[in-house]
Amino acid sequence: MTIYFKGGGLLKEYLKPDVDAYTRKVETTQGKTIREIMEQINLKPSLVSMAILSGKVIPMSYMPSEGDIITLRPPVQGG
Amino acid sequence: MIYGFGGQEVRINVSDKSVSKNNLNPDFARQWLGGRGFICKVLYDEVPRSVKAFDPENLLVVSPGILSGHFAPSGSKCCFGAVSPLSNGHGDSTVGGHFGPELKFAGIDLLIIKGIAETPSYIYIDDDTIEIRDAAKYWGKGSMDAEKMLKEDLGEDFQIVTIGPAGENLVTCACISHDYGRQAGRCGVGAVMGSKKIKAIAVRGTKSLPVYDLQKTKEVNLAIIKRTSVHPNMEPWQKYGTAMFVSWSNNNGVYPTRNFQTTYMENNEQLDGPELVDKLLVSHKACFGCWMNCGKYSKVTLPGKPTVYVEGPEYETNALCGGNCGFERIDEVAYNNWVCDNLGLDSMTGGGLAAFAMECYEKGLITKEQLEGHEMRWGHVEDFEHFLNMVTYRRGIGDWFADGLVPASKKIGGGSEKFAVQVKGQGMSGYDGRFAPAMLLAYMTADIGAHHNRAWTITLDDDIGRDVVKGKAKLVVYLQHIRPFFDTVSVCRLFWGEVDVTPEEHIDAIVMATGWNDFTLEEAMRTSERIWNLNRAHFLERNSAVSKNGRTFDYPNARFYEEAVPTGPGKGAKLTLEQLDLMLDEYYEARGWGKNGNPSREVLTDLNLTEVAANLEKAGMLGTLISPLPKVRGERYKPKAF
Repeated sequence: MTIYFKGGGLLKEYLKPDVDAYTRKVETTQGKTIREIMEQINLKPSLVSMAILSGKVIPMSYMPSEGDIITLRPPVQGG
Repeated sequence: MIYGFGGQEVRINVSDKSVSKNNLNPDFARQWLGGRGFICKVLYDEVPRSVKAFDPENLLVVSPGILSGHFAPSGSKCCFGAVSPLSNGHGDSTVGGHFGPELKFAGIDLLIIKGIAETPSYIYIDDDTIEIRDAAKYWGKGSMDAEKMLKEDLGEDFQIVTIGPAGENLVTCACISHDYGRQAGRCGVGAVMGSKKIKAIAVRGTKSLPVYDLQKTKEVNLAIIKRTSVHPNMEPWQKYGTAMFVSWSNNNGVYPTRNFQTTYMENNEQLDGPELVDKLLVSHKACFGCWMNCGKYSKVTLPGKPTVYVEGPEYETNALCGGNCGFERIDEVAYNNWVCDNLGLDSMTGGGLAAFAMECYEKGLITKEQLEGHEMRWGHVEDFEHFLNMVTYRRGIGDWFADGLVPASKKIGGGSEKFAVQVKGQGMSGYDGRFAPAMLLAYMTADIGAHHNRAWTITLDDDIGRDVVKGKAKLVVYLQHIRPFFDTVSVCRLFWGEVDVTPEEHIDAIVMATGWNDFTLEEAMRTSERIWNLNRAHFLERNSAVSKNGRTFDYPNARFYEEAVPTGPGKGAKLTLEQLDLMLDEYYEARGWGKNGNPSREVLTDLNLTEVAANLEKAGMLGTLISPLPKVRGERYKPKAF
């Protein structure tokens, strides 16, 4: 299964985008949570403050489907 | 005319209502850049060391920096500075909105206010007309109420800053408010304005700013707008603002809870950004020249309370008037936000004061009788509001707290100084540093006390190791140069930190505005470092009667080195005094300071501050280098490769 993570700012250096400036293509298996997929690509969950799919906030326990484009939001860096 | 600037320095003595205007000195402009740069130099040179915050000789200095009012990413900022009643050192605080640009459009880069008005007054600026006007009808009104009245009287096209009753009554954490909910909140600048009996400053500017290369400025900034508008971080910023950060902070063990007793709060998701947007949002709100609209305008209706409107709560208020005071409902936190805003209290230190009082009450150190028959329980709106009214109007023991966390703890006694959460008198921002040592070091060493906007390090702590103290100091030094730089030139730092507008692009914006074709990022960072060292020297010179060693002032209250975090992801995290000293040793060495925490002659000379070195030497306060002076102080963090 292929999904896409999008991320910028602080996350960019960790996400290592390969599709465009902000997007990384990830091959994974159905049934994994967002948190597990991040761990699969060595992306620390602590670097992500929020995950968004189709404009809506989704929990880290969400299990993506084929082709999902998930935006990962880094911490705000200071409030 | 100086490209990029309004061109004028205006001095007002409100004692005799005199106004003088001078052309801005171009050399001064290049050396100090504006904003907190202008302010730090004026305060250092012109306020005698014996003068205290509320003396007529203290100055309230207002400055929008180079990019304020320009077509740069959110060139919206304006800085307010004074000798602070919290630290007795340099203080400054920056606000967004529209005031800074309007001041520039009136041709003013630097406004220096001295004296004490005979009766409550406000400063009226309409391009070249400057008057000191009677403010009797506005005095005593809430910050936002007074702003509304002034807009009705003068016209919507005036931009206005006000103080609330807290500023009028010299509450040391009083803020300056603008645009119905934005604040220059820190350092007690509102109290200094109140001490001068100035309720408000109203400005309308209709002039244009001279731009060196207007065509290129338009092209480059339109490209930045297009690029950042589709940046993946932009949409969540526009939707939730800083409030989206609450759960992350909690889940990573840095969220201050019940006066920093712990760093994790159960049910914290009820305070997170989506809750704010779902339950309270009326509209999004943006500063001048900004397309991020991170401000969230909220409507709050609590049983038995008037319906109120407030901008926020953003993250810091959410943390310090929320979990830190034991609140678990977003509408209650938003109401607390409004209470602070209209009283004219910095919602960060105001929340910190309330949390401190709640812990004192819990421990039996203050009583119901002292609280005029009220209690001070965690998570009770009535208690929170009543207490901050006592503080604002200096009733009973409210008078103790109005003087600040440290003076209050001295009067309360019972070991309360251990949990009066501050550094240099400034209430701590909304992150607990026990599970993020570099963040604690950043608070300890910040020139204005425990404020996060000088350096924010928690992802750095996370990457290097949450329990690691060694090797982080030079990274903190770098952040203390780059992050306040944005306040100096008066653009919003969010475009740098959040949507990848690079520091180099900001330098290009300055070059296009000013025509300083040889201006570089290296020069900008050296200016930022010069400001840092000047503020340090200023603080030391003013507080030399307490100690001649800067290190004395760089410790937080003892909770941060005596108590372990009791719950949550940071459970067990504890720092010792020895570890704090190790971090300070590394920090002073990285800065080119002495082991006593005082700047050395070598670093001051390198920064063209030879007169400051002479002043410190005369006072017997020069530091002695720990090791040869590093050519560049501070180091940019590079994330580890996976």
